[in-house]
Amino acid sequence: MKPVPEKNEIILELKEVNKSFGGLLAVNRVNLSVNKGELRALIGPNGAGKTTLLNLVNGTLPVSGGHIFFKGKEITNLSPHRISHIGIARTLQITSLFSGLTVYENIWTAVQSRKKFFNPFIRALKWQDVKEKTESMLDLTGFKDKAHLICSELSYGDQRILEMGIALSTEPDLLLLDEPTAGLNSQESMALVKKMRSMLSGQTIILVEHDMGVVMELADNISVLHYGAIIAEGAPDVIKENEEVKKVYLGSEHA
Amino acid sequence: MFLQKGKSFGFILIFILILLGLIIIPFFVDLFYQTFLTELFVWILFAISFDLIFGYTGLLSFGQALFFGLGGYTVTILIRKFGLNTELSLLFSIIIPILFAWFVGYFSVKLTGIHFVIITIIFAIIGNIIGDTWTSFTGGADGLTFSPPPYRLGLFQIDLMDIKGNYYFVLTIVAISFLFLRRMIQSPLGKVFISIRENEERARLIGYNVQRYKLIAFIIAGGLSGLAGGLYSLTLKYASAGYLHWSVSGHAVVYTIVGGMGTLIGPALGAGIVMSLEHYLINFLQTTDLVVGIVLVAMVLMAPKGLVGFIQSRFKKGETSA
Repeated sequence: MKPVPEKNEIILELKEVNKSFGGLLAVNRVNLSVNKGELRALIGPNGAGKTTLLNLVNGTLPVSGGHIFFKGKEITNLSPHRISHIGIARTLQITSLFSGLTVYENIWTAVQSRKKFFNPFIRALKWQDVKEKTESMLDLTGFKDKAHLICSELSYGDQRILEMGIALSTEPDLLLLDEPTAGLNSQESMALVKKMRSMLSGQTIILVEHDMGVVMELADNISVLHYGAIIAEGAPDVIKENEEVKKVYLGSEHA
Repeated sequence: MFLQKGKSFGFILIFILILLGLIIIPFFVDLFYQTFLTELFVWILFAISFDLIFGYTGLLSFGQALFFGLGGYTVTILIRKFGLNTELSLLFSIIIPILFAWFVGYFSVKLTGIHFVIITIIFAIIGNIIGDTWTSFTGGADGLTFSPPPYRLGLFQIDLMDIKGNYYFVLTIVAISFLFLRRMIQSPLGKVFISIRENEERARLIGYNVQRYKLIAFIIAGGLSGLAGGLYSLTLKYASAGYLHWSVSGHAVVYTIVGGMGTLIGPALGAGIVMSLEHYLINFLQTTDLVVGIVLVAMVLMAPKGLVGFIQSRFKKGETSA
């Protein structure tokens, strides 16, 4: 496990956040605080509202009620591109890459996004700082040898890693990962976990994940969502033993 | 691949060779072919401006005719009714379409996919209807004629009533526009456009204000389409409501798909091929649209990346097997 930061500085705070789709309450009065440096896993049965919650945090969906604070500032209902610049990055459940571009270009595009002005009269390659950062991100993600492959030629597992690399290249203070192991077999999942440990060390992360092995392996704390509400929260060992959680979630798998 | 190095030299060499070829051609062909080539240059400009919005940003706009027509009318009316000189009129044939593109784009870029296509067609149709019915201002379907006065630009005496003079004038502007667009595609801004084409959602998630950059692409493409329209009316000394017909946008779509979208050189080549084909076939046929249609369908089925894409994939195959 990662070393716990000395002081518990809250980086993300959700207060009484609601989201309804018509009559359906997908997220129900959620209060959630995530500390800096923490890896928080968000678990719950299908349809519990985990992805919806991420969508609210990064502005993909507007909230129906409540407030979201990030680094002490309210970010409720800001648009996704603004939230990206404030420091929240996001991967999606279904891999989302610039699929016709090379690995290098994918990372480059993400690194370049931190610039304020996109000069139309210079060659992009003139941006030495973007180039250096792109190369260091390729090192970190381990794609140096595959940099010139079109990213749709990568294995599925590599594509999942590349998407994290893209998110990381925007230098986020908080990373939202939506089921990184979705679609991977258990061997690939474990390889991904290993990669995540080296690549994401020190990052503050909210991880939505179905694979309990991955969650127990990586998470500092776990929040359990059920019908859009948080029903339990705590360290992995505590959550494992929680009766209510067993009933609604683990129970069905471990009975 | 947008970050290739070391290709500039080859490009510059080929570009200069082609340009030199085009500079000496008028000494070997008659006035008819000089006019034909001048018109071809105009359509090349129109096609590459469309390639920016479609091939690079991923927005299929059928509204480019609106900007083409606006550019054409701007030049025609400013010279005919206000006696403005040629270079200022031409400058306005960029500015006025830019303002309209801003307005149209403001509403259009909020829509995606087929909805975007439809709204751009609708704007073009509105423009066409206004052009057709407001005959006191536009001349309607009959159009308006004018004669651009000769003028001095530095060392050059420019007389657009002279076909050869007109040829060089249009060639110069289209060549500059081509280089301008090529540089923009290679620039950081171009990379933003390409990222939107490749995956709009991902572009937004990494912090690009997708709607803003779509609008910027739309405005630049609109301005260059307007310039093409301005040059077209300078070449024909004429503008009519027909310029505004949405099927004019169709020309750009056909050239771009035949030549290869997202390549700049492709649409230019596509314009050359299709226009030459039409020119040749008109000797035998009443209308060439059917043949062009068959070529288009054949290209879409057999070489969806157009001629340039087809050649590139052949070239790559050769490389790996060698």
